[in-house]
Amino acid sequence: MTVEIQAIGIDIGSTSTKLVGTNSAGEMIWQILEKTEPRIEEQVRRLLDQAWEMNDRLKDIPVIATGYGRKLAHQATRAITEITCHARGVYQELKHGGTLVDIGGQDSKVIRISPQGKVFDFVMNDKCAAGTGRFLENTANRLNVSLDDMGAIGMETSVEATISSTCTVFAESEIISLLANGVILPEILRGLHRSLIKRIVAMVHSVGFEAPLMLSGGVVQNPLIASMLGDELDTEVVLPRHPQLMGALGAALMALETS
Amino acid sequence: MTNDIFAPPLKTISHSSMMMAMHFLKGRRPEKLGKVAWVTSGAPVELLRTLDFYTFYPENHGAVCGSSHQSVSISIEAENLGYSRDLCSYARTDIGSILSGKTPLRTIPPPDLLVACTNICQTVLHWYRVLAHRFNVPLVLIDTPFIYDEAADHAVAYVQKQIEEAVKVIETVAGQSLDMKRFREVTSLSRKASQLWMQILDLCQQRPAPISAVDQFIAMAPIVSLRGEAKTVDIYGKMLEEVEERVVQGIGALRNERKRLLWDNLPIWYALRYLADFLGTRGIVLAASTYTSAWGKLANMFNPDNPFESAARTYMHPILNRSTGDKMKTMMKMVNDFHLDGVILHSDRSCKPYSIGQMDQRDRFINEHGIPALLLEADHNDSRSFSEEQTSNRLEAFCEMLGV
Amino acid sequence: MFNIPSRTEAIKKYKANGGKVAAVLPIHYSRGLFRAFDILPVEVWGPPRIGTGKSAAHLQQYVCSICHNALSYIQQGGLDIADTILVPHACDSLQGLGSILLDFTPPRQPVFPLYVPRGHRQSGLDFFAAEFHSLYDRLSEMTGRFPRNRNLLASIEREEAADSLLKELHTQMRFLPSSNSAIYKLIRSREYLPAEEFTQLAQDILKMEQGTPRQGTPILLEGIVPEPMEIFDALSNFDAVVVGDDFASCGRRVYPAGTSHDPFKRMAERILHAPPDPTRGNSFEERQAHLMEMAARTGAAGIIFYIVKFCEPELFDLPILQKEMREAGLPTLLIEVDLNSPFSQQAQTRLGAFLEMIQ
Repeated sequence: MTVEIQAIGIDIGSTSTKLVGTNSAGEMIWQILEKTEPRIEEQVRRLLDQAWEMNDRLKDIPVIATGYGRKLAHQATRAITEITCHARGVYQELKHGGTLVDIGGQDSKVIRISPQGKVFDFVMNDKCAAGTGRFLENTANRLNVSLDDMGAIGMETSVEATISSTCTVFAESEIISLLANGVILPEILRGLHRSLIKRIVAMVHSVGFEAPLMLSGGVVQNPLIASMLGDELDTEVVLPRHPQLMGALGAALMALETS
Repeated sequence: MTNDIFAPPLKTISHSSMMMAMHFLKGRRPEKLGKVAWVTSGAPVELLRTLDFYTFYPENHGAVCGSSHQSVSISIEAENLGYSRDLCSYARTDIGSILSGKTPLRTIPPPDLLVACTNICQTVLHWYRVLAHRFNVPLVLIDTPFIYDEAADHAVAYVQKQIEEAVKVIETVAGQSLDMKRFREVTSLSRKASQLWMQILDLCQQRPAPISAVDQFIAMAPIVSLRGEAKTVDIYGKMLEEVEERVVQGIGALRNERKRLLWDNLPIWYALRYLADFLGTRGIVLAASTYTSAWGKLANMFNPDNPFESAARTYMHPILNRSTGDKMKTMMKMVNDFHLDGVILHSDRSCKPYSIGQMDQRDRFINEHGIPALLLEADHNDSRSFSEEQTSNRLEAFCEMLGV
Repeated sequence: MFNIPSRTEAIKKYKANGGKVAAVLPIHYSRGLFRAFDILPVEVWGPPRIGTGKSAAHLQQYVCSICHNALSYIQQGGLDIADTILVPHACDSLQGLGSILLDFTPPRQPVFPLYVPRGHRQSGLDFFAAEFHSLYDRLSEMTGRFPRNRNLLASIEREEAADSLLKELHTQMRFLPSSNSAIYKLIRSREYLPAEEFTQLAQDILKMEQGTPRQGTPILLEGIVPEPMEIFDALSNFDAVVVGDDFASCGRRVYPAGTSHDPFKRMAERILHAPPDPTRGNSFEERQAHLMEMAARTGAAGIIFYIVKFCEPELFDLPILQKEMREAGLPTLLIEVDLNSPFSQQAQTRLGAFLEMIQ
């Protein structure tokens, strides 16, 4: 298998770091996913050493780095933004254009992908935690609910509490108020998801929605997010098989093109 | 509970609201309206009134959307098309409404003419250019130089020239010539209505204040939107009588008035009830506001014998076109004249010309005059920039400072 | 790369020769008027990275960093060297800043406001000429000088010569053997160098013009001021070349020569006939035509709206301009900035993704 790896992509996100190796046909044949460590350079070196150990020859193949920490991957041939890489990876998996929503830990992106697989337009929320996974994560911690369960609990009801605060920090005091007034947890969680989704929908409108809606990033595992987005935009939601690996896959594919 | 705290509502305020409702209802039949002009609140409307334009005030419409809690969903329509949330919430509400068709008024007649006067802010210049682009109709701009100290002669001459030149454009759209005699009459009616409005506000110098600024926020719509009409003179004449009657009978807006405050800046349209209740239950009345007195103050500047020059002066002098130092003097005078115990400065995120200077004004009130002053952060039309919890906290602390 | 004197050097030299200095806030004013009084106008765009520690006591956080930084700088003593401060009127925030400087937080030197008329009507021109006359009177009072019309005209002509070279720098920037960053340092030296020195410098540099343009993706920039300036190096790193701009501080102030023999009318007409500017009330049609002409002439592959956060004149125009540009086949990108923040990681990513998209 190792003989077949012709390109490597590394996606260094704020939460997790992913490595993908593809064969000459661009198929994903090797992958690693682990939590991003504070010393990114060392982590990248360790991961690549793992690859060299499998086969010495791999030292010659191209590596492209993407994601938040891409500039710290000195061994990479090039650094390319996660916008271009996510679009590339998703297009490879799903074989069609549309609107890609990626809700990361620290930022969110909406990318319009053309039928030919190129980035047509994009918009990012990189200034405010309220439009990112961090919004849910913070409140999950506060409420002693695991991030994995949040969506499922929110789906237990169809009633939503309205969270009007635009800021993650102030949303906390609002939640405390709601709890004090006897509002139940599932309704509050639903309301929180609604706040996040509203921001994402606004971003979608700013690039102009083109069906289908595709999702990538870790938050994809939350069923409530996919369900609410689909409802708000009145569209089906398509998920790639490995939503967290799309950036790394795209980077690997771009590396393949350079060789 | 409310009946123990507040006096019953004024009949004439309901009538003024009815008058506005009738005006909006008329707007639902554009085919019957004749020519339509969209106008800024500070524009010299007397010209338009004389030429029988149906006038629509997007700011007024914005306030209606805000009061009926629809402004956020309407603004989002504009925001989805790229209009930043850092823009004035009235403008976002208006642009959102035009682009989506959403409005509590069912329909709004499109304009044949746009008239923007920058005496309230520069924002209207940009906002109305968006409207001009959208509707492809003439835009009359009255650019009023800001008065940092005093109105220079060349500035007054500039404004007068613009008003005179505007006449040609407005006549062309109206399809008729300006009748000078009628223009003088309309100017006279504007003056009369403004004087009556001022007298009503001045009655709040009495203790207890017969009406509050919250009542005034609702009652002011005709003096802004229907100024120059005879029925506006009528309604304010009757309102004055009703308020005088209250004074005679010693009826206050609050049954138990303990403290009196000045409200500076625009109202928080979607939270009027909340504010009235919060303050009212503590015996605090908003006895005066710089916002509602803006139109009365200039009443005596209107001069029917010299309508163009007096219009130039009048329209250069609203509080928003005068310096922050002048505004401080104006507010201090109101504190004295109205026997006020403190000031609430609404730091309106959407209104920079009104809000810049408030921090220094607050300091002056507290440090130089010993008058409690609260800076309250909110937005006049966007409830997403308002936190009821934070506001309550600050108001409570302020009330404690007032000794209530 | 080019040997451009710094702001401090220019001020020192001018003062050593007996001249005075005026600190000028954004945007439009007449340089010629000040120079006729032997006053060097030095512009204050920020400065960047000053922080809002001092200004936060006077200006709310929803006021832009151009205003905040100017006020902080004044209060830190940054403008102590200036003999006067001019505050032109460009928007509600500068209006408020001018007003509080006059009424609440007066600096040690006199503050002069200058109202700039909106639109380009005869009435506005007449007003503006009279407004400059008023400023003339105040400068006379301050300096005891009364420059005659011919001196005023000579001073204006000297500025016109400098502006004509500035225009050439703008149209030819792609042909100069230099970097985006160096070229814009040169362009921005117009903010403080005496006109005759700028003229000499520009002439020398334009001699270096090459026949072939620099390689790279041609990009236009738009906004109020190119701060943080790091964007120029960031663009170079992505192999992009700035081929023109519509910045209030740069491209929009390539003032044309005037024709009037009345110096005050001449000052006024130059500004009112400058490239379209939302702060002067120009229409969408004018702005669109100007930008599309620039794009066509330079072969630009995209335009970046580099906007200072909270700027209403810019933000109101943005949706329509972006839409029309895109419909005309010119991709656009928005980056919002704060003068107190460095060119962020996020801005780098947006820029990178945009260039990857259009290259």
